[in-house]
Amino acid sequence: MTRKLIKSVINIENKEHEFIGEVSLLEQETWGKNDTLKIIGKEISRIDAVDKISGTASYTSDINLPGQLYGKFLRSPYPSAKILKIDLSKANALKGVKHILTYENTAKYKWYYETSFLLDPIVRYEGDEVAFVAAESEEIAEEALKLISIEYAKLPFVVDTEKASTEKNIKVHNWGNIVEPSEYKRGNIETGFADADFTIEDEFRTSVVLHNPTEPHCSVVNWDNDELVIYDSTQAVYQIRELAANALGIEQEKVRVIKKYMGGGFGSKLDLGKYTIAAAIVSRELKKPVKVVMDRKEQNLCVGNRPDSIQKFKVGIKKEGLLTALQLNSMGTVGAFPEGAGLSWPAKTMYKCPNLLVNEKSILTNAGAARAFRAPGHVQGIFGLESLMDECAAKLNMNPLEFRLKNYTEVDPVSNQPYTSKKLKEAYKKAADLIGWEDWKAAGSSKSVNRIGLGMASQIWWGGGGPPAHANIKLDKKGNITIYSGTQDLGTGTYTFIAMVASEVLQIPIERFNVVIGDTKLCPYAPVSGGSMTAPSVSPAVRDAAERLKEKLMDTAAILFDEEKNSIKYSNGFCVNSDGSKKVSLSEIAGHLNEQDLLIKGSRNENPKGYAINTFGAQFAKVEVDTLTGKVTVLKISASYDIGRVLNKLTLDNQIRGGIIMGLGYALMEERIIDENFGKVLTTNLHTYKIPTMMDIPEIVIEIASDYDPMISNTGVKGVGEPAIIPTAAAIANAVNNALGVRIKSLPITPDKVLIALYVSK
Amino acid sequence: MKTTIKFICNDRVISTNIHPAVSLLDFIRKQEHLTGTKEGCREGDCGACTVLLGELKGNEVIYKNVNSCLLPIGDVAGKHVVTIEGLNSDVLSPIQESFISETATQCGFCTPGFIVSLTSFVLNTNHFTFDSAVESIAGNICRCTGHISIKRAVSKMLTFIDPVFNGNRIEDLINKNFLPKYFLEIPVKLKGLSSETYEGKAVNSPEFVISGGTDLFVQKWEELIKTEVSFIPPSGDKEKIRVSGNFVIIKANTTITEFKESEIINKHFPALNEKLKLFGSLPIRNRATLGGNIINASPIGDMVNILLALDTKMYFIKDNGVRELPLNKFYLAYKTLDKQKDEILDEISIPIPAEDCLFNYEKVSKRTYLDIASVNSSILLAVHNGIINKINISAGGIAPVPKLLAQTGEFLLFKKISTDNVSEAIKIAMQEINPISDARGSADYKKLLLKQLIIAHFVTLFPDFVSIEELV
Repeated sequence: MTRKLIKSVINIENKEHEFIGEVSLLEQETWGKNDTLKIIGKEISRIDAVDKISGTASYTSDINLPGQLYGKFLRSPYPSAKILKIDLSKANALKGVKHILTYENTAKYKWYYETSFLLDPIVRYEGDEVAFVAAESEEIAEEALKLISIEYAKLPFVVDTEKASTEKNIKVHNWGNIVEPSEYKRGNIETGFADADFTIEDEFRTSVVLHNPTEPHCSVVNWDNDELVIYDSTQAVYQIRELAANALGIEQEKVRVIKKYMGGGFGSKLDLGKYTIAAAIVSRELKKPVKVVMDRKEQNLCVGNRPDSIQKFKVGIKKEGLLTALQLNSMGTVGAFPEGAGLSWPAKTMYKCPNLLVNEKSILTNAGAARAFRAPGHVQGIFGLESLMDECAAKLNMNPLEFRLKNYTEVDPVSNQPYTSKKLKEAYKKAADLIGWEDWKAAGSSKSVNRIGLGMASQIWWGGGGPPAHANIKLDKKGNITIYSGTQDLGTGTYTFIAMVASEVLQIPIERFNVVIGDTKLCPYAPVSGGSMTAPSVSPAVRDAAERLKEKLMDTAAILFDEEKNSIKYSNGFCVNSDGSKKVSLSEIAGHLNEQDLLIKGSRNENPKGYAINTFGAQFAKVEVDTLTGKVTVLKISASYDIGRVLNKLTLDNQIRGGIIMGLGYALMEERIIDENFGKVLTTNLHTYKIPTMMDIPEIVIEIASDYDPMISNTGVKGVGEPAIIPTAAAIANAVNNALGVRIKSLPITPDKVLIALYVSK
Repeated sequence: MKTTIKFICNDRVISTNIHPAVSLLDFIRKQEHLTGTKEGCREGDCGACTVLLGELKGNEVIYKNVNSCLLPIGDVAGKHVVTIEGLNSDVLSPIQESFISETATQCGFCTPGFIVSLTSFVLNTNHFTFDSAVESIAGNICRCTGHISIKRAVSKMLTFIDPVFNGNRIEDLINKNFLPKYFLEIPVKLKGLSSETYEGKAVNSPEFVISGGTDLFVQKWEELIKTEVSFIPPSGDKEKIRVSGNFVIIKANTTITEFKESEIINKHFPALNEKLKLFGSLPIRNRATLGGNIINASPIGDMVNILLALDTKMYFIKDNGVRELPLNKFYLAYKTLDKQKDEILDEISIPIPAEDCLFNYEKVSKRTYLDIASVNSSILLAVHNGIINKINISAGGIAPVPKLLAQTGEFLLFKKISTDNVSEAIKIAMQEINPISDARGSADYKKLLLKQLIIAHFVTLFPDFVSIEELV
């Protein structure tokens, strides 16, 4: 028996999920350090690069099916209203309009955890879906939207998080504005504060931010007889298959989801879109393909965001620097439908603190619903916690790094389990050396117009991945090798690492492998590409498949040579017999096989029991603040991580740097702004919603502190996508405080906040 | 009048009767199925739709990178459009090679735009430096890589270039595989087209006369494709920027890039070149015009703020008549202009400042580049023996219209440059302004910021005469 069925629990994007699935029992030893390997860990150019640099890569928004219709949503202009009357007569009369869905003529497809419908007579945020038009062209569809006449009864609304949390009269849903408040306790908070030499109370805030991947959300759907084919710009082909089948009430096997290339997701493309289902309904009715592409405004209103946060802390510390108690009350808005705005995992797990009390609330407001956004919760939570840790260190006149080291923990404080690996101390040292931390001085030491500051922050996340995750490897009679896995490449390099892992095992060039992913019909199950779990889940399955293929090749060679299997040696794509007199290549073996194709299934192993699996890291920032204009310039960021084994140095560097720059945007410029008088979002385009450009990029230096995780899998890989963004904003905020001697306690740190803090509030 | 729009797209001549306000982006993606050009934002903010636009000047074609989402197809008539597909050939270009070897592509959606913009850079620049290459892609946004691998690719690309071109740059670039061979035939092909160039619809009184359109197509493109539009015709042989007596005369349809790179402007206004990098992004500067920025009447327009301080005068034409108006009298109220509908802004004039005149421009926005100011301010002044004998200070973002701070200027005129006088001037400036709170900042902040910018002017120009510590 080389497989078994198990149940596993994995934390994905801050939520625990249970899976039942098969795992591999083959105990391949984890590879040694990367310098003993030929391909893994090297700088390997991505295998999909030529498609991308030539513009020939086909994205979902580039797909056009013959005879397709174009779909567009009419969206509510009001943050809260009831639809009284719908008049479609003018729109239906427009030439080229083929179908219009409204709540009146459409079944009640449940949405948002059964708190609403695909089309609901109550609209709860600006952008909420009101009607769906399918027409012969995008232009006609847009024209038709203007011809639909809707009579609304405007309802009172609330868009401010704090206000909504106490509001008695204005309720986003009739059951209230607060989603499942949660409490966490450890030790005894009162005793903890009693033990402290000092207590500090402080409050930190962050803004709602928007994912803004460059490719808008889009789907092209078509019914092929009774099979629904969905081309979707998604991070999760299997999850979309399940959600779409459930939404439509059909068998999952009748849905095929395909995604080859996509223009980024960052969490916003983990969910099923209303546009996908509306298109499927119309497509089924009219027997034509339907294409829907969001525009940038829809993107910024309707397909997710990171909740804001208000984090109230009380912390107790001993004179020598030990944390005795930590209390956190936090809230954040999840928009108009139930989601989670929790952010306390860093407070619970980053440091050794015996007494903890956490209360968290997710607040409903009349705005677009939240969705997982690159390390949901942790990005907000680390900003608050790490700002607070700096305040503690300052209270004790202690170096911030020294303070953190005093509270370092060798076991997961929640489960009391040891880690499979934790190289955070090493990461601190490397990142500190890279920034020149020995130059650190207490906050506010500089009095010049342009002030330099240094700051740091720590990082923790999950990212161990887990089963079920499968990869099939197929060898055909001509010796072509194809690897299939139901994972996806968001641009992060999945195609490339799959070929690299197989190449390492089978010792033949990367170019020999054809990689097929992102297709539920062709590929075996693999998890969503979220939670930094793609590489740690999929790479072991690929290695498992490749090792099993190698075994099979050696078995076949043994038959061909008429020798015992254990006398056969495998090397560089050849099997050689015991005395070296006979040699047969992988392609030749394939030719000898009477089976047309050799199809071998590889699977990820079970995670080790009794251990916590986490990624760790630290970032240090050097900033310059112009006290005349309030402008903050980040000069340098250093980063070091324990993320297990590096698969591909080039794509790893890109992931980390991309995360840091997204974190820089979060720290300095990104925020969704809503006009409170009208409940309308003011930042719906890329002009008003600012993301970093080429000119905002500091020097970034990276050193990886880990060789590989010795326990989790045959590749020892942990994820990096989310760890990359987590500490950046906190490190920058701490550096700004270090430069000015004044702390900006809310993100983003825009020039106005700096000037006001310097000249008005003091 | 010819109403068929003819142009060359990559290596093919295209002929279409589509509405002239349809965006080039929609045309190439939907009609021509050239899907390498991506739609990211449709507002000129992301650069995913960047294409090259080549215009015949004499026997040469001059190429610029532009945002195809904001480019009406009527304005492409007689020109050469190059999409990413039009840069591909049997071999990869050194730019593409560099992007591969440095993994400067991640999700890849923005990549074609970067490749096109860098191709425009090698076609145009006289400064093959890393910084100017990076500036050329400041209008292209990547959300995945953090831009650093792209910067590495830029460095690598530069190693393929010998900055000295032997004669024809396009030939050289073809020989080095930066461009496919068909580029050589384009000038002749374009000349063939020019005799039958589209002249716009025969419209007597068009609803919109378009000059650039980089803001108009953001605000009103749905309206534009349903109405009559015409385009400011080319200026013919007349130079767009010329010197006449003590004035520089500039055609209203001069692009910001043409203005920024003009020898005349750089000679008489040397401080401007660096400051104009803060205007939009290169593809926007390549299309946006001085006239457009003036008529657009944004209270925080960069160009208007600068022109106000430079004593600019405007010349409108209507039925062969010409009307002259100082720019500071043009804005009556928010987006309300002293201009009749059928008047067209033809030229502006700027007096050439005396040699000892100093100029400074300050702008603060949430993002340094590719952003609109929260507050901006320009200053032009001349000082003799420590006494100010000429001064203009303009400010934007602090009133419904772009403003010359007349009383502030008047106070400082004939005064010494000193901490006390600047401090007093700031008090007067605060009385002259009336900002509102909006997404770019609160009213109080904008007042504070203008104060800081006035201090910044004097600290920058006269660091030895004023004390920053006392002023703040």
